[in-house]
Amino acid sequence: MSILLVGVNHKTAPVEIRERLAFNDEACASSLRQLVDGEIVREGLIVSTCNRVEILGATASDKLEFSAGRIAQFLDTSGSLPAGFLDAHLYRHTNEEAVRHLFRVASSLDSMVVGEPQVLGQVRHAYAVGVEAGTVGRVLNRLVHHTFRVAKRVRSETGIAANAVSISYMAVELGKKIFDSLKGCSVLLIGAGEMAELSARHLVNAGASRVTIANRTEETARQLANEFGATTVSFDQLDQVLHETDVVICSTGAPDYVVTEARTRKALERRRNRPTCFIDISVPRNIDPAVSNIPNCFLFDIDDLESVISSNIREREREAERAELIVQSEVMQFQQKLRLMDIGPSIGAMRQNMQDVALAELARQRKRLGPLTKDQEAAIESLLMSTVKKISHPLLSQMRRFYESSETDAADIQKEFED
Amino acid sequence: MRSLLLAVLAAYLIAAIHSILAFVNKRRSLQRVAEWSMAAGFILHTGALIADWAIDGHYPLFSLRESLSFLAWALVALYSIVLYHYRTQAVGAFTMPLVSVLTLIALLIGTDASTAPAAFSATWLFPIHTTLLIFAYAAFFIVFMASVMYLLQERELKLKTFGATFHRLPSLTTVNEIATSSAALGLTLLTLGIATGVIWSSTRFGRFWRNDPKEIFALLTWGLYFFLTCYRLTANWRGRSAAWLGVVGFALVLLTFVGARFLGSYHVFG
Repeated sequence: MSILLVGVNHKTAPVEIRERLAFNDEACASSLRQLVDGEIVREGLIVSTCNRVEILGATASDKLEFSAGRIAQFLDTSGSLPAGFLDAHLYRHTNEEAVRHLFRVASSLDSMVVGEPQVLGQVRHAYAVGVEAGTVGRVLNRLVHHTFRVAKRVRSETGIAANAVSISYMAVELGKKIFDSLKGCSVLLIGAGEMAELSARHLVNAGASRVTIANRTEETARQLANEFGATTVSFDQLDQVLHETDVVICSTGAPDYVVTEARTRKALERRRNRPTCFIDISVPRNIDPAVSNIPNCFLFDIDDLESVISSNIREREREAERAELIVQSEVMQFQQKLRLMDIGPSIGAMRQNMQDVALAELARQRKRLGPLTKDQEAAIESLLMSTVKKISHPLLSQMRRFYESSETDAADIQKEFED
Repeated sequence: MRSLLLAVLAAYLIAAIHSILAFVNKRRSLQRVAEWSMAAGFILHTGALIADWAIDGHYPLFSLRESLSFLAWALVALYSIVLYHYRTQAVGAFTMPLVSVLTLIALLIGTDASTAPAAFSATWLFPIHTTLLIFAYAAFFIVFMASVMYLLQERELKLKTFGATFHRLPSLTTVNEIATSSAALGLTLLTLGIATGVIWSSTRFGRFWRNDPKEIFALLTWGLYFFLTCYRLTANWRGRSAAWLGVVGFALVLLTFVGARFLGSYHVFG
C-alpha cells in the first residue's frame, strides 16, 4: 500500500482558490464516499481548514500515479474549476513525503504561525469525519494515530508553542519574566480599549487577582469592570492606585503623557521599590519614556512588544528545527511499520500456499497408503501441517527480517515466491 | 579515596554538561539526567568525605585539597536546596561547572601532607568554625550567581534586546529572592563562623584578634553582606544596585578565601 497526499495550502494558493476548495463537514463526507471507490483510491481523508485543503489517500503501490491524478481531478471538479486549473497550485506528495507532510501539518510546523495549537484539532476533526464516512481503513488509521503521537511529542519535547506571539498576550509573558507568577498580581487598565481588555483577560486567566480600570468615560469603565469583577477609578485618582499596581496597561487616546516620570517615582517610593511593569499600547504614547530610567520600572511601548514578538518567533523557529528532527525520525519509524503491515498478508499467503502444496501431495499419494481410520487420516494431516509450519517458520521470519532492512516491495517478494 | 573522588568528578561532569545543554536547548530530559547524576555525585561525595574522615582520623576539612572538595560538596548541597525551592535550573548551568572544577583541582592536588591536624581536631570548635565558613562561601557564590543573572535579565528587559538569554533566565523576582535569602543565610553562617573562630582562638592562644589578613578580609566581607542584607530585607533597596553589591561582595569573598593566603595569613584554609 502507498500513501499519497494532494492539496493546496496558504503558501501555494491564494485565498480565492482555497475558499473555492474548502469543504464543510457534510460535503466532506459525501465527497469522500464519492472519491474512495475501493479500487483506485482505497482509503481517504480530507483536511480542510482556512489555510489548507488536503486530501490524504491510500492506494495500491502500482496505482499511485493514477490515483494522484484522480484526486487532482476530483479537486478541480469539486471546486468547479476547469480541468488542470489547479496544477500550478497543487502539491502531490507520495509515501515518505506524504507522511512527513501530514506529521508537519499536525505538529503545526507548516502553519502560518509556527506552533499555533488549532491545527491538531482540525486534523483530529478531519479524521472523525473520515471515520464517520467509512473511508478510513487500516492504513490511514495507523497513520493518523501515529500523527497524533508525533504532534504530542513535538509539543511536549520542544518549545515550539512556548512563547507568545500576540500583542495581547505579551503582558502575561513580560509579567512572568518580571514577577515569575502572576498569581496575586494587581493590574491597572488606563483606558478601556479592546486590546487592553484582551490583555487584561489573559492576565486574569494567568492568575492576576485584582483589576482596576480607569477610563475617561466612566460608563465604559463600569461596563468592563462588571465583566472582570474589577473596581473603577477616575483619572484624578490614579495616584491613589498606582503604587498598589504591579502591571499597568495603558491605551488611552490622550495626546500626551498620562503616566509621567514624577508620578511614577512617587508611586515607586510608596511601593518600596517593588518592580512595576508598564505596557503602553497607545499611539501617541501615554507613558513618559523617561519612566524607563527609574530603577525597577520596566516600560514597554508598542514597538518593544513587536520586537519581543519577533524574538519569540525566532525562538519558535529555532525550536521548529528540533521538531523537524523528531518528525524525521518518526517518519522513518512509520515507514517501517507500514512495510511490516504490507508483508503481513504476503507472509500469510505464502504459508497458506505451502500448506496447500502439502495437502495436494497427500491427496496424490493417498491411494498408496491403503485404507486408514478417520483418526489415522487426521493424524497424517496434522503431521504434515506441523512439519510445514516448523520448516517454514524460520524461513518466513528470516524473510520478514530481510524485508525490514531492504527496499523491495512486498508484492514483488510474494510474486517471486509464487513463480 | 582517590577512585571514589574520581567517580564523584565523573558524575559532576555529566551533571555539568547536561545542565549546560539543558540551559541552551531547554530540554527537560537533559535536565533530568543532570539532576540524577548530580544526586549520584552528591551521595558518592558524602561517602568519600565520611571515608576520608574515618581513614585519616580527622575532620575532612583542613588542607587545601580538603577545603576545595568540601566546598564543592557544600555548593551542591546549597544548589539542591535552591533547585528544590525555586525550580531554577539555569543556576545549575553555572554552579555545576564550578563544582566540577573544584573537584578536579582537589583530585589533582592528591594527597597532601597536612601538618599535624591533630591539634586542630582535638577540639570540636575548630571543625564547626571551618564548616560554617565553607557553607557561607557557598551561599555567597549563590548570591553572586543570582545577582549576575539578575543583572543580565534586567539589562534585557530595560534595553529590550530580548536575545537568547531572555528566554532562558529565570524571572527577576525569583533571582532577587534567591539572592536575598542566600545573602541572609550566608551572613548568618559567616557571623557564626567568625564567632566560633574567635572563641576557638581565644581559648587556644588566649587572643581573639591577630590582625591576620584573613581576619581583616573576613570582617570586611561581613560588613558588606551585613549592609547588603539589611538593605535587601528592609526592601527599600533592591534590584540593580543590590545585585551589583552581590557581585562585588563575591570578589571580597574570593580575597578572603584564597587571596589572604598570599598575604601571609596563618590561616591554612577553610
